[in-house]
Amino acid sequence: MKKSLYYIENFSIKRWTRVLAFLLVSLVVSSCEEDLPEAGSKADTTPPTSNFSAEEQSGDYLTYLFTNLSNSATDYVWDFGDVASGVNNSSTEENPSHTYPAEGTYTITLTASDKLGVESTFTSSIEVVEPDAPTVFVPTILEAGFEDLSLPDGTGDGRDSWRISGGKIFGITSSPVRTGSQGAKFDAGDPRVAYQELTVTPNADYIVTIHYTMKTSPEGGALRLAILGEAISEASEAEAAIIASTTGTDQTSASDYVEMSLEFNSGNTSTIAIWMDSNNIAEARVDDVSIIAKPE
Amino acid sequence: MKNTKIIIAVFLTILTVSCNDDLLSPVPTSAVSADGFYTNDEELEAGVLNMYDGLQGVNDTRSDSNHGTQVEFYLTEMRSDNTRTKSGEGEAAQFETYTVQSTNGIVADYYRSMYNVIYRANTVLQYLDAATTKRDQFEGEAKFVRAYAYFNLVRLFGDVPLVDKVIAPLDTDIAFTRVDKADVYSLIVSDLVTAVANLDDSHKNRASKAAAEALLAKVYLTTGNYSGAQTLCESIMNPARGFELLDNYKDIFYSEGNDEVIFAIGYKNDLTNDSQNFSAEWLNGVGRTSGVNYVTEDVRNAFATYGGVERTKYAFRNDATQTTQYQVVKYLPNGDSALGIDATSSDPTLAGNDWIVLRYADVVLMHVEAILAGGASTSSSNAIASFKLIRDRAGLTTPAVITKEDLLNERRVELAFENQRFYDLVRFGEAVSVLSAYSTTMGYSFTATDLLLPFPNVEIGLSNGVLVQNP
Repeated sequence: MKKSLYYIENFSIKRWTRVLAFLLVSLVVSSCEEDLPEAGSKADTTPPTSNFSAEEQSGDYLTYLFTNLSNSATDYVWDFGDVASGVNNSSTEENPSHTYPAEGTYTITLTASDKLGVESTFTSSIEVVEPDAPTVFVPTILEAGFEDLSLPDGTGDGRDSWRISGGKIFGITSSPVRTGSQGAKFDAGDPRVAYQELTVTPNADYIVTIHYTMKTSPEGGALRLAILGEAISEASEAEAAIIASTTGTDQTSASDYVEMSLEFNSGNTSTIAIWMDSNNIAEARVDDVSIIAKPE
Repeated sequence: MKNTKIIIAVFLTILTVSCNDDLLSPVPTSAVSADGFYTNDEELEAGVLNMYDGLQGVNDTRSDSNHGTQVEFYLTEMRSDNTRTKSGEGEAAQFETYTVQSTNGIVADYYRSMYNVIYRANTVLQYLDAATTKRDQFEGEAKFVRAYAYFNLVRLFGDVPLVDKVIAPLDTDIAFTRVDKADVYSLIVSDLVTAVANLDDSHKNRASKAAAEALLAKVYLTTGNYSGAQTLCESIMNPARGFELLDNYKDIFYSEGNDEVIFAIGYKNDLTNDSQNFSAEWLNGVGRTSGVNYVTEDVRNAFATYGGVERTKYAFRNDATQTTQYQVVKYLPNGDSALGIDATSSDPTLAGNDWIVLRYADVVLMHVEAILAGGASTSSSNAIASFKLIRDRAGLTTPAVITKEDLLNERRVELAFENQRFYDLVRFGEAVSVLSAYSTTMGYSFTATDLLLPFPNVEIGLSNGVLVQNP
């Protein structure tokens, strides 16, 4: 009885030891599986956040420079959204650049990761556009030859586009003319003016050309062509708004038209105006007003 | 019982009435306080001058002083391809190698200085009602100075905390919350618009109408309002305003208050409180350093190509004691007899050379930039005429078409060592490509994120997690 009791006790001790060992082992095994933190370790409170900006390389609209704005990351994988470029569509550089084949919208993905393998992905699109070549807008001068019914809608008396409040509009002449059947007439001793607003490209150089003829007497006649740097509402405001002007004094022939040109820069505005008047000494005629962008 | 209630009610009323500022925070009679001090024009003008004193910065070598403008070249010129330290050592060399740490004391110094200037400007604005006849002028000056400080901060740090009034120590949200750049620029623009309206051209060491216009033009060029910039430049370029390009480069820097200067931070020689030491630091061991803001080979090559003889002569010189090195000659404290420049002080570390913030040549080149309007080139006769003024003075010919690169190079040599180059590169959108190439040649470590400085570590710490560091 006593012996068997000892046996039982002996057996149970051995058995419990085994159970205990088994439990310990399984505990160790299970703790590995559950990845419990080791003593002294702490959670990753600064996981990577990925972000970037893209900037066109100056002088090359197809090439973009990428600026990596990621935080707490050590490794980067870029996808430039340009599958056709093959191996070049990807990069592991921190701040790469990529040249696109053509205009279009491309979606770029940056995957930033840290050494724990935590990843963060940021996606953004860029639009690759070829910049417009700078062009100078050339306005259309209405009733440039002072002909009747020459407005776009087929109306007009040859002067309707040239009127300004407070200034007496020039008269119409039928002889001499340079082209067509009418020209503008600036009387002597009776102040006449012409004014027309034009839309232009700011800071662009233009040349306005007119043709004029003046009676041979009395001497001292002068016809003025000017550019106003802004639109005006009263003729009296013209003088102060002049940014360029030239004066024609050729009185050699009362019937032959001579050319007169004025070069000007439109300045910091998109509205200028053509202005013409005379010193009222000799009768003058004007025909065929034109404007071109100054050739480079 | 009923009486008790009435008595309590009466007491409460008395308590409420008596709880006003006068009783609980009386104006001290034995000491000066802001509330008690600013009562008239004269006293408020002391506050106005105090702003310029803040921009001037303290002339000493302590690391906890606000040195203001005197350390600006570290953060700007030495972070460009124009200058570097002579030795390549210490925290000063972090700028040239593009390894600026958040612990860098010079960055903290400048950051602290600019916010201190902003505080001084906000103080003037808070007590503006004390002014009588000079209210508009003081408002204009304070807003100009505040805008100038913010324009520097927003270009160096990006989104920054926006403090537009006097704040108390517990207003930590305002002090540390970064505000979107666009909002910072709106305050800068509205401040400068007020300054343009309120000021005239009677000062060069204090804010003026022309200074506000020129600074606003630069802000507009930065934000892309080219037409607005052009209008402002043309306003300053009106001959009636009296500004001009001097014939001689030397006179720009060595005849102070001349017609080319629009706004300069004034310094007085040999006065500890009003002198500057950056001039001495740029020499070989004359200041505290062995020599900083030394001229790079890169900019010397640029001068050889675009500079012209006279402009180069008054830009940099060979270091007589270390002949492989070159020094800036625009702000010499102890003169140069070979160049006919006299000393500006008896002690070079107490130099009197003013720091020119805005001058007419800058405005003329900004006029070209406004017409270029972000494009690749311009042949506008308007732009050519302005460009020609600068080229003629340098004794150089003017091209028929001005490219963006031409203009950037011209600004580089005309305004070299005047803390413009870094901002120009960023504004022209060329900073990443130019500085990457330069950095590769020099073995430095530039990446695009180096365009913004790190916020000072001490600010990050004090903010308790509110102030977020730049990447």
